[in-house]
Amino acid sequence: MAATYNQLPSVISERPGFARRAARAIAHDWLALFGLVIIAVVVVAALIGPLLAPSPGDGAGVINVDERMLPPSLAYPFGTDWLGRDMLTRVILGARIALQVSLIVVGLAILIGVPLGAIAGYRRGWLDGLIMRITDLFLAFPPLLLAMAIVAALGPGLQNATLALVVSWWPWYARLARGLAVSLREWPFVDASRAMGIRESSIILRHIVPNSLGPIVVQATIDIGTVILAAGGLAFIGLGARPPAPDWGLMVAEGRQYILEQWWLSTFPGLAIFFTVLAFNLVGDLLLRLLDPRQED
Amino acid sequence: MVTPPGPVSEPVLRIRDLRVRFRTPGRRVTAVSGIDLDVGQGEILGVVGETGCGKTVTGLSVLGLLPDTAEVEAAELRLLGRDLTSLTDDQWRGLRGTDVAMVFQNPTGSFNPVFTIGAQMRDVLAAHDGLKGRAAAARIHEVLTACAMPDPDRVIGSYPHQLSGGMLQRAMLALALLSRPKLLVADEPTTALDVTIAAQILELILGLQREMGFSVLFITHDLGVVRRVCSRVAVLYAGRVVETAGTADLFRAPQHPYTRGLIAAVPRTHRAAGALATIRGSVPPDPGAIVGCAFRERCELAIERCATERPELRSLVGGQRVACHVATDEAGATVAER
Repeated sequence: MAATYNQLPSVISERPGFARRAARAIAHDWLALFGLVIIAVVVVAALIGPLLAPSPGDGAGVINVDERMLPPSLAYPFGTDWLGRDMLTRVILGARIALQVSLIVVGLAILIGVPLGAIAGYRRGWLDGLIMRITDLFLAFPPLLLAMAIVAALGPGLQNATLALVVSWWPWYARLARGLAVSLREWPFVDASRAMGIRESSIILRHIVPNSLGPIVVQATIDIGTVILAAGGLAFIGLGARPPAPDWGLMVAEGRQYILEQWWLSTFPGLAIFFTVLAFNLVGDLLLRLLDPRQED
Repeated sequence: MVTPPGPVSEPVLRIRDLRVRFRTPGRRVTAVSGIDLDVGQGEILGVVGETGCGKTVTGLSVLGLLPDTAEVEAAELRLLGRDLTSLTDDQWRGLRGTDVAMVFQNPTGSFNPVFTIGAQMRDVLAAHDGLKGRAAAARIHEVLTACAMPDPDRVIGSYPHQLSGGMLQRAMLALALLSRPKLLVADEPTTALDVTIAAQILELILGLQREMGFSVLFITHDLGVVRRVCSRVAVLYAGRVVETAGTADLFRAPQHPYTRGLIAAVPRTHRAAGALATIRGSVPPDPGAIVGCAFRERCELAIERCATERPELRSLVGGQRVACHVATDEAGATVAER
């Protein structure tokens, strides 16, 4: 029976996998490679910072009066601060705080924003209106201003700063996910799954959300850099991490009163922020190219 | 093809006076204005007509898949004897895939690009039959093999973009048949495929239908396809059925001027080269607003009565039914005979 129809050649095309295309793209793009190397360094510092740092005890409020305010030298490549703490150690230890805050903020923002946006965009109607008007309420304030207001209300501290940043970040993901869902729901495969009697929750979870992930991942990569900056900004104005935590933003703030004589106090943490943000943006661009099929090679 | 059996006893699908209107900002547009259809047990009913005549809307209304902006009314809409006019969302969902399934026009878009074919078929089995693991794998393999899928094992593990259009349409057909539906709604399933692949898919649908005995509502604008697969045909024009007949009768003696125009417009290879026959004019924008016969503006036989009175479907000798004042006047005397 089947044999009579079986005239169709088996043509299953092989397309290079994500890993191979990524390797090829990185080989041709030294900026992306540069970004990946910096991210790798930051991640290693965050994971095993205390093992790498020359004097791990300097992460806290150790006082070492003999060695205060030493300029960069071989013994102290980034110099020392007004308590005699090694700046290199503190910059290395700062990586963990920076990554922790940014990953938590972006992760929670995605977990809250994406499902809400996907439901709004798929269902449309009054539910869409309700969710998106709530979103608009949050978007009406500049994100950093909203975060400042929340921290001011809850009291300064790293935890409250993280919470505040989540609150001001999720609406952006809700909006992005909604836009993607609105266009995805018109795809024939959504109609096809409805025609096969798949339930709505499965359609949103299995069809809408997975197909939205490309742009969301790209946005997340870029946002990690932005959140590090925002957290640093909050720390700078005294609303984020509290001394003696080795937070990059806080270190820049603490160093600014000595900026003319002891330039290294603010400069090195500032450079750490600068390069980390830059690296995440570069990798975000790379992902954008890899995940967008229209930008193939 | 022999004279097809008319719908026997209880039809699988019975539609009486189906009306669908779409709400658009400011006004309502009629897509379907009173369609009657029966799809018998094991029958392949062709629904033909040009773009915008309401054939897809009719197909979607059988699955309850019309968007929220659609207003659906029907004197009767029954699938396997069950009333579809007052189903809840959950009841509709239970019906789709198991009692009625649909194959769409665009096979490449009908699969989710981020999951394998096998994963998507497993989802459907899990949703309806509660089949999982080995049992599900066996059923998927069985259906793919029945659909003459070359290399089913590799297809199960492949992503949609790795397959050709013809293979995807076979996979789509397999997906639709997974839970053994009683009625298959096929909405132009071969339009997006090239001619040789389209012919294979048609043969496949015919063969599977004979083997499994389901009924088919075959929506198409291609009369060649109708002639090949359908046992009976309903010709739609501007949201109404203008003629229904056994396929052989329809092609031998088309009664409605529109059907005659459609058949005359089919390109034939043995005919002398020259301009193709066409039907002048185009489909009226909102058939709901029309008094009289919707086709009269384009009809060469139109008489005064066509402008004032809408022709109803009337039976002719031999079971053919036609909605035309000219074709049915004087007690069933047909245009062809005069």
